[in-house]
Amino acid sequence: MEPRRDAGVPAAGVVLVALAAAALPVVTRDSYYLDVATTILMNLTLTMSFRLQVSTGQINMAHISFMGIGAYASALLVTRAGLSFWATLWIGALAAALLAVPIGSVALRVSGPYYFLITFAFSEVVRLIFNNFFEGLFGGPSGLVGIPKPGRLLGLAFDGKLELYGLMAVLCVGVVLALVRLDSSRFGLTASAVRQADLLAETLGVDVFRYKLTTFVLGSFVAGLAGVFFAHFRQVLHSSDFGLEPMVLLVVFTVIGGTGSVWGPVVGTILMTIAAELLRELHHYEILVFGAVLILTMLFAPEGLVALPSTARRLLRRLRGRATAPAGVGLAP
Amino acid sequence: MLLELRGVSRRFGGLLAVADLSMTVARGAIHGLIGPNGAGKSTVFNLITGVMPLTAGEVFFKGERTSGLRPSAICRRGIARTFQATTLFREYTVLQNVLVGAHLVAAPGLAPALFWSGTYRERERRAHAWGEALLESLGLGSVAGQVAGQLPHRDQKALALAMALATGAELVILDEPMAGLAAQEKAETTRVLRRLREQGITVLLVEHDMKAVMGVCDTVTVLDHGVRIAEGTPREIQTNPAVIEAYLGAEEPGA
Repeated sequence: MEPRRDAGVPAAGVVLVALAAAALPVVTRDSYYLDVATTILMNLTLTMSFRLQVSTGQINMAHISFMGIGAYASALLVTRAGLSFWATLWIGALAAALLAVPIGSVALRVSGPYYFLITFAFSEVVRLIFNNFFEGLFGGPSGLVGIPKPGRLLGLAFDGKLELYGLMAVLCVGVVLALVRLDSSRFGLTASAVRQADLLAETLGVDVFRYKLTTFVLGSFVAGLAGVFFAHFRQVLHSSDFGLEPMVLLVVFTVIGGTGSVWGPVVGTILMTIAAELLRELHHYEILVFGAVLILTMLFAPEGLVALPSTARRLLRRLRGRATAPAGVGLAP
Repeated sequence: MLLELRGVSRRFGGLLAVADLSMTVARGAIHGLIGPNGAGKSTVFNLITGVMPLTAGEVFFKGERTSGLRPSAICRRGIARTFQATTLFREYTVLQNVLVGAHLVAAPGLAPALFWSGTYRERERRAHAWGEALLESLGLGSVAGQVAGQLPHRDQKALALAMALATGAELVILDEPMAGLAAQEKAETTRVLRRLREQGITVLLVEHDMKAVMGVCDTVTVLDHGVRIAEGTPREIQTNPAVIEAYLGAEEPGA
């Protein structure tokens, strides 16, 4: 395991992400590629915020639901109450964060598999409400349609593919910047300590519950933000957009890149979103392919793709040790 | 009186692991807690530090009731501990481990961590310098940048103590600080404990090495089957018939 890097180093990475995002429209303005790129950035805000929670040891299976809460909240406030997207962008994210306080307070009383199950149950409840209840409001199984594009801000009309891409890029770079900073700060140091040994952290004076709840609420805020964008980007919402399948993909995207570093989700999301596009013709079978990829990653790169160099180095060192040392000794740590 | 236990009990199903235990730890003392295996020593530590709830009784620290509080809240009052099976943040460097321990001294907060204000960076610099000095004083200065999980056993023990001290605790509770150490390393640990006493830090420790306990402790409390059977200076304990009786078949104190 590589030691965590201290502050300062990640700044270069953020600049790189921002430059790459800014460079894309120069290379191509093809609407399909812009769509894929926008999806990558949207997924990236989700996986980054999911990893924030993973860093304290939570596998929050309801993360996608908070995206849904942001999405439905904004869609309804714009279509029913006539609010501007630029206001509901923040209201939707705040709604997700506010709901995360009571939900997190209950779910975080338990940990490990129990936490996994409670959040999964909650996400199903949310999905069923969107699908089966208040049909006049949420649109039921046929979905919520007629959601407008974001509209004008500062003299710019955000209704073309390019403008939407630009908006998502700004949101995403902002989120990445904030989360990278947080991760390399004292807060991130303590948050990751909670995952490594929560009882030790607690006896050293770290309020483990508060740390977990803070990351839960902050992650939900970011998920809500992505959800609002999603609603006005796709212009139609279905309950299945926030169901088990996209949640599983979110886990796969994050885990494949690796959760040990903030750059894991970046690598994982870019690669896997592109892979998902290439596998589009497989329809629902694509999840089989992702399952296989996940299993292979767990077997051969359990710390994720970004940790591959150090994993390989360690493996090599171990192999070399075995070659020179008497049988059995080389495996000693 | 720094720490006081009043009628503390802990029941595990049908087993009364700690039975109506009352004891006090004086400020500035090195206080030993000994007893045969299964006497309830580690349970007492878990009860004091809030890792386990009490079945009955109360714990007071500096005159304030701490029983019922969560471990983090108890640590915030000034009690830190190490574990028998040395626990560390294995993926972190030695310095990062200590910085997590120093959490209370340099409380982070979410907003400063996000915006990296000048005061935040200044505080971080001071925390780093302080952590390095602490490591230096415990002989860990040269391994500050190493990953904790790969340290030799002796350094892991020393690091666990460093983390407890980093919280700024007035009372450190050490669960077998000498276990698995060589004679020379035990002597070094003894020196460290005496130095802590000079600095005004109170130490409560469980230890199986009787020679070390008798050599370093000011007061020793003896537990057997969850009951306090003796308390006094090492000399008094070594000649106490009840203690010798309890240890019969095991090793004799002072042997």
